[in-house]
Amino acid sequence: MNQWLDERLHISRLNDKFLRKAFPVHHSFFLGEITLFSLIILIITGIVLALSYEPSNSLVVNSFDPGTAEKQNLIPAAYHSALKINAMPFGDMLRRVHHWTANIMVAAAVIHMMRIYFTGAFKKPREINWWIGMLLLIFTALTAVTGYILPYDNYAYNTVKVVYGIAASVPWVGSWLAQAAFAGNFPGDGIIPRIYGYHIMLLPGILLALTGAHMLIMIKQKHTQPQYAKRIAYKKIVGVPLLTQQTPIMLMLTLLFAGIVLLFSAFIPVHPVEFFGPPSTTPINNIKPDWYLLWVFGALAIIPSFEMNILGGVIGSEFVGAILLPTMVIGAMFAVPMLDRSKDNNYYAENPTNHPVRLAIGTSFMALLIILSVAGYKPDLISGNVLTTANANTVLWILVFLVPAVTYFSTIGIVRGIRSLREADERESLAHAAAADD
Amino acid sequence: MTRYRKQDPEITRRRFINAAMGTTATVGIVSLVGVLGTANPVFRLTRDKMPPVEGDILVHASASKEGEPIKISELSEQLVRAWPMGKDKEGNKLIRKGDPNNVLAIYRFPKGQIVAPTHLDATIDGEIVAYSDICTHAGCSVSDDDQQEGQMKCPCHSGQYDPKRGCIVVGGPPPRALAQLPIKQDGEGLVVGGFFLENPYPFTESEWEARKEAVKAQLA
Ligand code: HEM
Ligand code: FES
Repeated sequence: MNQWLDERLHISRLNDKFLRKAFPVHHSFFLGEITLFSLIILIITGIVLALSYEPSNSLVVNSFDPGTAEKQNLIPAAYHSALKINAMPFGDMLRRVHHWTANIMVAAAVIHMMRIYFTGAFKKPREINWWIGMLLLIFTALTAVTGYILPYDNYAYNTVKVVYGIAASVPWVGSWLAQAAFAGNFPGDGIIPRIYGYHIMLLPGILLALTGAHMLIMIKQKHTQPQYAKRIAYKKIVGVPLLTQQTPIMLMLTLLFAGIVLLFSAFIPVHPVEFFGPPSTTPINNIKPDWYLLWVFGALAIIPSFEMNILGGVIGSEFVGAILLPTMVIGAMFAVPMLDRSKDNNYYAENPTNHPVRLAIGTSFMALLIILSVAGYKPDLISGNVLTTANANTVLWILVFLVPAVTYFSTIGIVRGIRSLREADERESLAHAAAADD
Repeated sequence: MTRYRKQDPEITRRRFINAAMGTTATVGIVSLVGVLGTANPVFRLTRDKMPPVEGDILVHASASKEGEPIKISELSEQLVRAWPMGKDKEGNKLIRKGDPNNVLAIYRFPKGQIVAPTHLDATIDGEIVAYSDICTHAGCSVSDDDQQEGQMKCPCHSGQYDPKRGCIVVGGPPPRALAQLPIKQDGEGLVVGGFFLENPYPFTESEWEARKEAVKAQLA
């Protein structure tokens, strides 16, 4: 059969070109793969969810609790269908797997990126894939946020309200933009169909296209090689071929990963829609976005209030905190490959401690995001009497500058320490070797 | 053999292709913007989406008592959320919750506690006061402050307001005070005395003026 196919489709050329691609064996190289498996699990579970989900925010009678004839219990159809999915055999499990995997996908992508950054894998010639990876991260987050809104419970409702407010805070074009994106003045009759369209057609389409490009470029350019490859065979590609050695490793990893996700989903509920109830006027106390957007939320919480009027456009704290600041952070991340001026192609993954400044910038950047995320807990910190209303902003602002600075200098210090220890070790072993030679 | 002297063409091949591509791109972008325009549905100001207007009755907004008129005896220093209830074209009762930003916050404080910049003539005897319950920051519904009685806190980014002083911002990110709604006593209940005195979320001043005009024109 192989030959039959080969004569028609030239399978063997495909085999030579793609399927024998060498995969370096190192645990940190699996992070990207976990992101990919997550995407696949999300698409499969998402399709199954879409079979029972009803994308509409028109009000229907709650069949679980219909109310009385005079006062019917009306809830949005989308919320009703989420309740119905929960009532199906394994339905709740399905929603949990989808939601958990979404979280894991973002986390895996972030850690994957950290690996790329700290080992210098973004350097020439792989800049393009860094940029595509950035787009993947952004669109994954957007997909997750739109998915979050679909069950249309009170939590989702309040989230989309804030997202609408953020879109509307863009000066000059804001209200038009928000209305176009969310099908009219909040909450438009078409808001759930609109977000459903984004979540299951537009955004997954973009994600798949970007993932395809990411993979093709990676195969074309080859992985950066781990350091051990340098010792084994200098400037040669070392690793196991995709078919047949890498494939079983990947399959095992997929199954292990799927097992872990199922375990999580079985024991830790995510987003219990029954608990939040249908959209209502009662706000949810201490509402928070998903963890990967907490830093934006934190920035919003500590930016003091102001409103500026420029040529008829209003620039407020919301625009600065939720659009300008994230744009700057993302812009800085996009610019990372441009910081490297070397003209030569990079072959080998670098030891992070050999590049202390890059390492320190990376760790302090992460410290900044973490401290901003902590600022997102400002209301809880105040209710818990850790901070007071009066000093919360001052303390948090000081931390926002202090913690990254301390991280920066301590990273550099630690790296120096490691290096001098290593050099001392080398000198010592050299001395020993010299002594042995005598 | 005849020798042709090649005439310089009027434009070069490269310039022609560039111009053609430019035109295509322009037409493409313009039509794309046209398509985006259709993504934005027309807004129709139906009566359930109108802001509270003079004569509306204030009714409970909480799920358990929704639609029941609020009685003065039910008010206290604890926030009570309300919807304005008006009438549709046929004169039937209509809760104006088509726009969720119509939620109101109502308080009753002992006499003398409500002070300027609250518009005292828009309160009932300087004791009962009504505001828009929608945070001017990002539009969350503002609640009672769990730590200070008689103060308001937004659950989203902990914006704080003082309902005894015209709901000015006393902490957090909101850019301006919650808009005050003039109210009047009607027997046991509360009725709206007129439009919000300032622009409520999400209106800018000019948008709010335009909305008031549109409402007046439609109800006239
Ligand atoms: C690629 C990345 C994706 C991410 C990050 C993602 C994320 C999410 C999240 C966080 C939810 C909320 C789950 C809940 O609490 O119920 C959700 C819901 C949903 N997703 Fe996805 N999703 C992705 C792809 C897909 C795809 C490809 C489809 C369909 C083909 C899909 C269909 C759905 C449906 C129908 C719901 C609503 C189900 C419900 O809430 O009960 N998703 N998604
Ligand atoms: S929405 Fe109220 S503080 Fe941000």
